[in-house]
Amino acid sequence: MTAPVTLSGLNHWFGTYQALVDINLNIEAGEYVTLLGPSGCGKTTLLSVLGGFIAPSQGKVMIGGRDMTSVAPAKRPTTTMFQDYALFPHMSLRENVGFGLRMAGVGRAERNRMADAQLALVGLADDAEKRPHELSGGQRQRVALARALAVGPDVLLLDEPLGALDLKLRRAMQDELKAIQRQVGTTFVHVTHDQEEAMAIADRIVVMHAGRIEDQGPPARIYRQPASLFAADFMGEMTHIDVQVTQQGVETPFGCLHLPAPQHGAATLCLRPEAIGTTGAQIDLGPARVRDAAFFGTHIRAHLIPEAAPDLVLIAHLPPGDMPTAGDVLPLSASADTITIFPKEP
Amino acid sequence: MMRVLPWVYLAAAFVFIYLPVATLVLFSFQDGQLPVPPFNGPSLRWYADVLGDSRLTAALINSVLVAFGASLTAVTLGFLAAYGLARHVMPGSALIRALLIAPLTVSYLIVGLGLLIVLTQMGFGLSLMTAGIGHVVINLPLAFAIIYAAMGAQQQNAERAARDLGANERQVIWLVTVPMLAPAIGAAFFLSMTFSWDEFIISFLLTRFDVTLPVEIWSMLRSGLSPRLNAIGSLVFLVSIAVVLTLELLFFRKRRS
Repeated sequence: MTAPVTLSGLNHWFGTYQALVDINLNIEAGEYVTLLGPSGCGKTTLLSVLGGFIAPSQGKVMIGGRDMTSVAPAKRPTTTMFQDYALFPHMSLRENVGFGLRMAGVGRAERNRMADAQLALVGLADDAEKRPHELSGGQRQRVALARALAVGPDVLLLDEPLGALDLKLRRAMQDELKAIQRQVGTTFVHVTHDQEEAMAIADRIVVMHAGRIEDQGPPARIYRQPASLFAADFMGEMTHIDVQVTQQGVETPFGCLHLPAPQHGAATLCLRPEAIGTTGAQIDLGPARVRDAAFFGTHIRAHLIPEAAPDLVLIAHLPPGDMPTAGDVLPLSASADTITIFPKEP
Repeated sequence: MMRVLPWVYLAAAFVFIYLPVATLVLFSFQDGQLPVPPFNGPSLRWYADVLGDSRLTAALINSVLVAFGASLTAVTLGFLAAYGLARHVMPGSALIRALLIAPLTVSYLIVGLGLLIVLTQMGFGLSLMTAGIGHVVINLPLAFAIIYAAMGAQQQNAERAARDLGANERQVIWLVTVPMLAPAIGAAFFLSMTFSWDEFIISFLLTRFDVTLPVEIWSMLRSGLSPRLNAIGSLVFLVSIAVVLTLELLFFRKRRS
């Protein structure tokens, strides 16, 4: 089962602190959306509003075309997969997964059959009799997913579901979550502060900052053409270069560049580390001296000081083949389509 | 020498604690009219005598009834108070907590006298029921404190998940909170049982014709020492030990593993 979600004009205050500011968001039925942002950006508050745990101070929550703003969590077509899984320690996995069905009045035989099917979906078919404390973190997480999906929600809310797992397991679970979402077709709304996780998993990323939506769109667009400086920085490492936008173009330490730019005046030009190379792309950055370099497996991360602007430090991801040493001088260039320019923030 | 000293101290401490109990139990097996040395026996005649005494067995059953009923009531009320105070924000909750725990500091004599005055003023006849009320008064703070201390974020998250999955408030409490708090609830119940089982002053003040075992023992004491009393004392002691052991095996052991 699946349903679209529409949030309109949401504002929420905790005392005098405004946690959500003018949130308007449409989520399609069957879409996988991640809410991405640092701690305290309001993403978990927004998820709680969707789940019915917090009634927003202002605004409306529509799920499947029905107004759900003041409907209790139990009566909503949503279920939540909690950060700490919140499994029932005194029940077997089958009873855990069947709990929602039991609350819905499904008979024992039928709900056991459905619970076993859900456990099979997450690869725990043989462990139905076990208790949660006998499982590993990754397995508990799967049980939490099975339990939330067992009641057939229209919208599944995931609150930092992979936060407690180690990196390798987290990457594996991302693929699995995505595959399960494709299979069941339910709308997934997933909260995370890990931009790699967000990019790996989401159809659409919603970047949040200080209670507002900064940017939203497909992962590639958000990464390559972010709508704001905050979104640009949050999605990955950036070199910031102070520039002036004038009639002639963008005046940079490397000469005047003809790039699409916002209004005239002081601006910040952002350059992704992987956009900088030594192979002669469109924009010539001139020679630069290597300050230090470190091997990362897939690339070499280097700090470079361009001769054209000695007080600037460029961060570049260079091909892993040949390791430069400190003091080497490399001819640098950047590709124009990965450069973004934002008005300078006061 | 310095190595031996702690052991001597330990032995002395244990003798001090357990000698009176050991003597009581030993002379309950006395084959004679007086529970004083020299020891003759062992004999089970006083146990036979005690168990054949209908007044004593009636008092014993009364004690069990009062202890069970008062503990059940105290634990139920204590749990509900703890759940309410731990899960809901309300004005003056610190004061309410303090008022719930405060009776622990009042002496049993004062509690008993207070209840005696109030109940007789209100025209209640004294009975096992009134003694039970007294025991609820002294056991409720304990039950509340134990259960309240055990309520943590873990249950709260599980309760939230249960609500999210469609459980109503009664189902949340009965299917999630109570099972998760079973060790604390069990501990509170069995501790209440032992306190109520041994309690004398309140039972003495608040019962009349049907009395509990400690009150019956008191009335027997007035006719002088007898190995009978030792036998009853040993039985009371045995029951207390059994309750404490059950508590240990059923709840604390499980928690540790």
